[in-house]
Amino acid sequence: MISARIAIAVALLSPALAMGQGVKDDEGKISNDDPGRPLQMSPASTEVKEALDDFERFQRRGAWERALKALYTIPDDQALRFVDGRDGFIIPVARKRREVLAELPPEGRAAYRLFYDAEARKLFDEAEGDDEQAKLERIHSAYFTTSVGDDAADRLGDLYFERGRFDRAADCWLLVLRDHPDTNLSPATLATKAALALHRAGRTSEFDQLRTDLEDRYRSETVTLGGRSAPPVELLESLIGDESPGAGLSPDPDADDAPLKFDSSVEPAWMVPIADSIEAGMTAAELNQWRASPLSDAAPASSVDGSRLYVNFLGHILAIDLKTGKLLWRSSSFHNLELLANQPGAQMSNPAQFAILARGEFLWCVTRDLKIQNYNASFQLECRRAEDGEVVWKSPDLPEIAPFEPAGAPLLADGMLLVATESQQSQPLPGQWVLAIRPRDGKLIWKTQIGSFRQGRQRFYSPYARSRPPRPRLLLDAGSLYIDTQIGVLARLDADSGTLEWGFGYQTAPVQGEMYFFNPYQQREPDAVGGGPISLGDTLLVKGGQSSRIYALDPNRMTLKWERAIGKSARPLAADEHAIYLGGDELASLDIQTRNLSWAARLPGGSGSGTVLVRPDGVRQFTPRGIFEIDPETGDVRSIFRGADLGAAAGGDVLLTAENLLTVSNRAITAYPRGADAPPPTEEKTPR
Amino acid sequence: MTPPLVSPLGARPSRFRPLRRAVAVLAILAASAGSASAQYGSPPGIPQNIDGLTVIGKGTASAAPDLAEIDLNVSASAELTGDAIVKFRDAKKRILEAFEGLKLPNVSVEERGLLVDQKGATPNPYYIDYNASQKTKTEVQLSRKLVVKASGLRELDEDAALQLVGRLLDVAQDAGAQVGTTASENLALRYMYGIGGAGAADLVRFVLEDAGKLQEQAYEKAVADAKERAERLARLSGVELGPVLAVREISAPVVPSRLAIYGIELSEGGKEEPVGQRLVSSKLGDIPIRVELQVRFAIHPAANEEGREKAATP
Repeated sequence: MISARIAIAVALLSPALAMGQGVKDDEGKISNDDPGRPLQMSPASTEVKEALDDFERFQRRGAWERALKALYTIPDDQALRFVDGRDGFIIPVARKRREVLAELPPEGRAAYRLFYDAEARKLFDEAEGDDEQAKLERIHSAYFTTSVGDDAADRLGDLYFERGRFDRAADCWLLVLRDHPDTNLSPATLATKAALALHRAGRTSEFDQLRTDLEDRYRSETVTLGGRSAPPVELLESLIGDESPGAGLSPDPDADDAPLKFDSSVEPAWMVPIADSIEAGMTAAELNQWRASPLSDAAPASSVDGSRLYVNFLGHILAIDLKTGKLLWRSSSFHNLELLANQPGAQMSNPAQFAILARGEFLWCVTRDLKIQNYNASFQLECRRAEDGEVVWKSPDLPEIAPFEPAGAPLLADGMLLVATESQQSQPLPGQWVLAIRPRDGKLIWKTQIGSFRQGRQRFYSPYARSRPPRPRLLLDAGSLYIDTQIGVLARLDADSGTLEWGFGYQTAPVQGEMYFFNPYQQREPDAVGGGPISLGDTLLVKGGQSSRIYALDPNRMTLKWERAIGKSARPLAADEHAIYLGGDELASLDIQTRNLSWAARLPGGSGSGTVLVRPDGVRQFTPRGIFEIDPETGDVRSIFRGADLGAAAGGDVLLTAENLLTVSNRAITAYPRGADAPPPTEEKTPR
Repeated sequence: MTPPLVSPLGARPSRFRPLRRAVAVLAILAASAGSASAQYGSPPGIPQNIDGLTVIGKGTASAAPDLAEIDLNVSASAELTGDAIVKFRDAKKRILEAFEGLKLPNVSVEERGLLVDQKGATPNPYYIDYNASQKTKTEVQLSRKLVVKASGLRELDEDAALQLVGRLLDVAQDAGAQVGTTASENLALRYMYGIGGAGAADLVRFVLEDAGKLQEQAYEKAVADAKERAERLARLSGVELGPVLAVREISAPVVPSRLAIYGIELSEGGKEEPVGQRLVSSKLGDIPIRVELQVRFAIHPAANEEGREKAATP
């Protein structure tokens, strides 16, 4: 009887056990189609997914004609949409098609060429003149596995190389070497060209690997490039010569490594008070009300350019002379700011969204007018003249960019202002976009949609709202623009054209409610500021603001090197060959080899926000109790420089200029002289 | 013949018969009310003997605190418990090293128990949460209360004591310790009292550790005060004071109470506070002990003539 009961229990429980196992297996898998994820890259249609499934099915049966026909029923517009790839990457359908074709067995390849060689050859023959690149790209995308696919890729690589797009050129040649085994082109020549392009693109580990291959496999061959013939390695070395490697290979030549030492005797060179200016003349009740407002804790966004510091404090733009601290101009005074800040409309605005970037004649601000009493008023992008602060253009006046709300700090590169934005329409659902704008007049150069939000715009009806979404971050590296949306997707675009190359889906918090009401008694987690992606040689480090994992990607090989659980509040600050430095609840160091946490130092106010100065000689953070200098090896606090700005809400930014160390907080902007060891002035690298 | 009923009020007794009945009813009612009062009005166990003379004696003694205590909270959380351990270990090490670095022999750091729980936006026990947390990941949180103790405070003048306490607070904050109430305590305080944020609770406790002697003094003073009052009353009443029949503590020194809401103590480490003759104050100054005793003395008729006369005087 007992054994019968046990048997029944086992029989009843076994499906549950099986289900439990299934859930566990799928737990770590990230899919673009998961409805719980906040952002979805433009998904391919169901028909496309069915076509890919059909291909797999017919391929297994050896029904090549039907298999290939299924693959080529995918319309061109769907080829640019996205499906799940390997390792969490989200790739265009065209790339997926190329990958599955590259894996065809010999009989499948033969069948494929039988059906599509003619079409590809026709395109190849037509690839002349103005259409050359487009036609070659078409072959590369749709017909790479044909017998002319390798020739097209080689010519396309040459074109890219001539245009200075070394990364793309290298990818073309590497693709032939890897996925076109029966090419009639010389592998030694292709490898030499690819190695040269990799060197110029700054892709170190790939370059080293290819150079070793050239040495081992093609040593006896002779390669001719640029009218010179020699063994591959010899030719490569003669072509590289003293040429400095591309970005990412060497330390930043402009890096300011002059020693920094501050003791208690150092007095501020100048100070621009912020809180004191606002609070002057307030009654006790007014002061209490102002300090209770979340905006009173906001530190201004700042940008250094040449001899000036530009500041965006809640929409008030200031230009300050870095030498004297003199106010050169301001867009408006702080007078009665407390009245605006205490209005509900202003309290709903996210102080972290204000941003500024200055370069040369102009400065660009992400700002909004606190006078607008709409709870969900949009931010706008403004261009001002650096000389006098006069507004040159602003996004609401420009029809092309008016529908987009800037969501993060802009980036200036190659004559383009790159901005992460959100479309403001709610039907269909709003999307995450990147715009490239002509800096001088705001004309749109290109725009690319990264994805659609899976919910309407989040609306806040209480300053006590639990958390504000972290702002997207941009990174420009070797001709590629990376955007970390902070909500589960890192995407790579071609900076020139805005073409969306791929996305990487990482673990993130699920979709949140759209509306946030009054709830002051919620035990809040600190708002995650989120850090931008960090490029470290061939590795890209990604940690979304809503994610509890950090990822190391090889963005060129499209592989996930490693991933690791880390606190949600952690944000990457910087990395070197030994360690990844993290902010968050603590300042911490992650050993890059073992991925173990080497040390963690909890500083007053935490390290959740603000710019931290990470240099080989020390990590410096501005806290409410002064500037703490941390030993990067051990995490020990080496010194505390109290300075003149104590009691700031949560510290603030610490910036280094040629002459001064600047601290920027909600209370003041303070400059401390660096003394005689200061290096000559350099341009700012990464604005906030 | 039955003798007529004689009214105490004189003639016409029959006229007052109804009134007499009413008086009897009232008397019964009054007696029953008295009995009810005895049942519900007096605390059980206290004898209803009101013979004698009962007075209240008060005594106060005070002394300067000898110890300052600062509660620190060291905590660390991470999704990987290994990370939480590294963070916690480093955070605690830094705090302990910072205090050791002071090289002050009269400063010590005591550790309380290690709490292992989870971090994050937990469901709010005090409010209906319309946006319930959708946390899918649990971060392990390790936290421990450290108590920094600075002894020998009585030997320092106020300025020196303040300097010492200020230095300890600075060192604790520079070392990254959380001084004062924790986030969950703040939440509870905000809910119950509308206060919250850093500084909602006292940062420093001033403690008188061995308060037994002081208590003894306060009791002695209270008894002496009671006796003095009783003697005065006896003298004025023309009776002689007898021995003490009963003593009741009206107010006595109490162990510092812990703030608790709905039975949840705000400080997890509070349960581990040393139990003993400790007196705690949030202010730097003499800490008083107040004792109030109710003492009942027996009384006897006065032996001399003057006393008897006094006793006979209404």
